[in-house]
Amino acid sequence: MSAPLLYFDRFGKPEDELVIIERAKRNPEHFAPLYRKYHEAIFRYVFKRVDEEESAYDITSCVFIKAITNLPKYEYRGIPFSSWLFRIAKSELYQSFRDKKARRTVSIDSMQIGKVMEEFQIDESEHKREVLLKVLPLLKESHLQLIEMRFFEKRSFREIGDILDLTENNAKVKTFRALIKLKELYSKNNNIKK
Amino acid sequence: MIKLLIDRQLPSSETIASRRNFNQILVGLPKKKTINSPWFYGAIGVFSVLFVILLNFFV
Repeated sequence: MSAPLLYFDRFGKPEDELVIIERAKRNPEHFAPLYRKYHEAIFRYVFKRVDEEESAYDITSCVFIKAITNLPKYEYRGIPFSSWLFRIAKSELYQSFRDKKARRTVSIDSMQIGKVMEEFQIDESEHKREVLLKVLPLLKESHLQLIEMRFFEKRSFREIGDILDLTENNAKVKTFRALIKLKELYSKNNNIKK
Repeated sequence: MIKLLIDRQLPSSETIASRRNFNQILVGLPKKKTINSPWFYGAIGVFSVLFVILLNFFV
């Protein structure tokens, strides 16, 4: 059985990228291969968090404009370039929410709700599912984004840490706390004993 | 209020790729202000010094 792909591998070798980044620092036109490589991943990240497709395309464009503008400040310190882009995407998203250009949205697959319920060790029923979906928006944004990245986007703790500027261990601990918080809200709303 | 969307249809890779436009990104880049560049002040400084030297030489 082959080993699962690390998220570093998903986007290629960082050394190859560094050469392109150095070129793009001198001339933005050299950024094109990185734009082609990451456009879809950044778009999907943004799309899942906003309610309108057009807003997602606009925010994605803003992410790349900001990335090229700030590229001279970028230095490789072990964090993949993709995470640096996701950080910009995160800040652009929150700016759009503040400017009321987009609405905070959580896109979930039915299957993923099942995974969260599995984590809670509760059997899947229509009522319980509804309760979980009702309490999810009640979570603090910092908790919600951890649950979203870990369970709905299946990101590794390392990737979550890189995007949120946390260590891998800290990302793990914070996700666990977010899960406890969600469980508390769920129990309160479902009137069941913990 | 946060909006929840269940089983939302994601655009296909082809649709996303069709919306890729790197030229639009380049056009959207903020224009570099030459006046804020250290090269601008450096060049002005060098030319000023040269001008003063040449002026003293010929006058």
